[in-house]
Amino acid sequence: MNLTLKIWRQENAKAKGHFETYKLNDISPECSFLEMLDILNEQLINDNIAHPVCFDNDCREGICGMCGLYINGRPHGPDDGVTTCQLHMRRFHDGDTITIEPWRARPFPVIKDLVVDRSAFDKIIQEGGYTSATTGGVPDANAIPIPKRKADEAMDSASCIGCGACVAACKNASAMLFVSGKVSQYTLLPQGKPEAAIRVKRMVKKMDELGFGSCTNTFACEAECPKQLKRTNIARLNREFICAKVCSDEK
Amino acid sequence: MKLIKLASITKKLAVGALAAFLLIFLPFHMGMNMCILRQDGGEWYRNVCHFMGTNYIVKCFEIILLLCIVCHIVITFVLWLENRAARPVGYAVSQKSKTHTGSKWMIYTGGIIFVFLCIHFVDFYFAKTGLTKGKYVAKVEKVDKAFQQKAQALQQGQMDEKQMQALQKQYMAIQSIPAEKRTQDFKYFVNLTKEDVNTYCGEDFKDYEPDFYNMAIDKFHNPLYVLIYLLAFIILGIHLFHGVVSVFQTYGLMNEKYAKAIHWLAVIYAIVIPLGFAMVPIHVIALF
Repeated sequence: MNLTLKIWRQENAKAKGHFETYKLNDISPECSFLEMLDILNEQLINDNIAHPVCFDNDCREGICGMCGLYINGRPHGPDDGVTTCQLHMRRFHDGDTITIEPWRARPFPVIKDLVVDRSAFDKIIQEGGYTSATTGGVPDANAIPIPKRKADEAMDSASCIGCGACVAACKNASAMLFVSGKVSQYTLLPQGKPEAAIRVKRMVKKMDELGFGSCTNTFACEAECPKQLKRTNIARLNREFICAKVCSDEK
Repeated sequence: MKLIKLASITKKLAVGALAAFLLIFLPFHMGMNMCILRQDGGEWYRNVCHFMGTNYIVKCFEIILLLCIVCHIVITFVLWLENRAARPVGYAVSQKSKTHTGSKWMIYTGGIIFVFLCIHFVDFYFAKTGLTKGKYVAKVEKVDKAFQQKAQALQQGQMDEKQMQALQKQYMAIQSIPAEKRTQDFKYFVNLTKEDVNTYCGEDFKDYEPDFYNMAIDKFHNPLYVLIYLLAFIILGIHLFHGVVSVFQTYGLMNEKYAKAIHWLAVIYAIVIPLGFAMVPIHVIALF
């Protein structure tokens, strides 16, 4: 496959970025998207054309949440329910032009090229994405029996890998799907219940402080989430938030 | 940067609550309008307008409604500004994700509906409040009563020459009132301009009301006007579809079990309400 790549290049967080066009020939359709970028980088280095293109990646099997590129107008590219590393070049055609951009959101500043700083998510987690009872040994897995359906539901919400595709896809750069997934995974299980009210209040407050937008129920997040978190999580977050505000005396 | 220092979800809840009030109001408004469709010379519609224009509870609701519209617009606009600020650098390739119908255009459809509302207010509401000239209706019975009182005063010699002449003029005018300025059963004077009110009801007659029936028929004779209204209703439908779904979602009333039902409720609401409103201009231009 011969491809034309339009890639966002930005020296550092403060520099002004721009798009650079690269031609790449003889790419195998079986190659993964990140391998294709590896090949590009090798060429850039070997032929002494430019500095390699920086992009985040780690596990390359869709579970770490590190990779995340905005490819032709969609986070993680044209496939549903996959991360960028799981995307293969067979999804493109010979002669295609592929535009690759970093996530765009005020709380996710670009560090270099296609790498963005997603520590905003960590800050939200620090506000309540945990249960604070930490004493004692590791509890037995089935010490508290939980119905299978509820356990599955909580597991689905917990499957968020924190890649930030929801924010990248959202027209408002809202982090509601991320926050709702985290709130849901605890709310659905008994261990998370005692801190449910304080958790949702603090996490939403942090989310707003960091400058994420609000949810306009466009559900681009749901369409782009590689772990296919559902919009019902956001409804649950809203519900929990109302409950926390109205029914709880937690400040 | 937050323009209103409330949690984003709280602001959404406020928008949702205001929207819910408007969503409940619309079927009432539509129902009233549809009284025009009865081939009764506007009798039902006149009665409804009389009730709406004079009942104090309705008047309170009118103020609440206006506030609702204003707040809904202000808060959504603030949210829109805040949301734009959340992405200072945009994407080069526009978004290709599969999204909910209408959601991306809410601010624009809302803006168009606002412009339409302004036109609608100038046409009908301003006439009611007396800011613009409209058409008026007066109950013959009440005009008659006022006339009788004056006639009594005349008999008792409490009138000067000028008032006497005015009364005589009014009497003559009523005798030769054209058919389009009264109902067939002679219960109402209708289609009156402000001058007509003075002519037929007397200078100091205050008990007249806006004649929305004839104002509507008048306006909807113009095909361009009908077109503007119909286009506005299509836009309204798109706005309402996303609005209905959003109210449920924002209030956390959405789950897998009810998602389909809510979707269809929104579809039906977004078709039935604009269609009901649209029937009035279509009816008028087709039949009058």
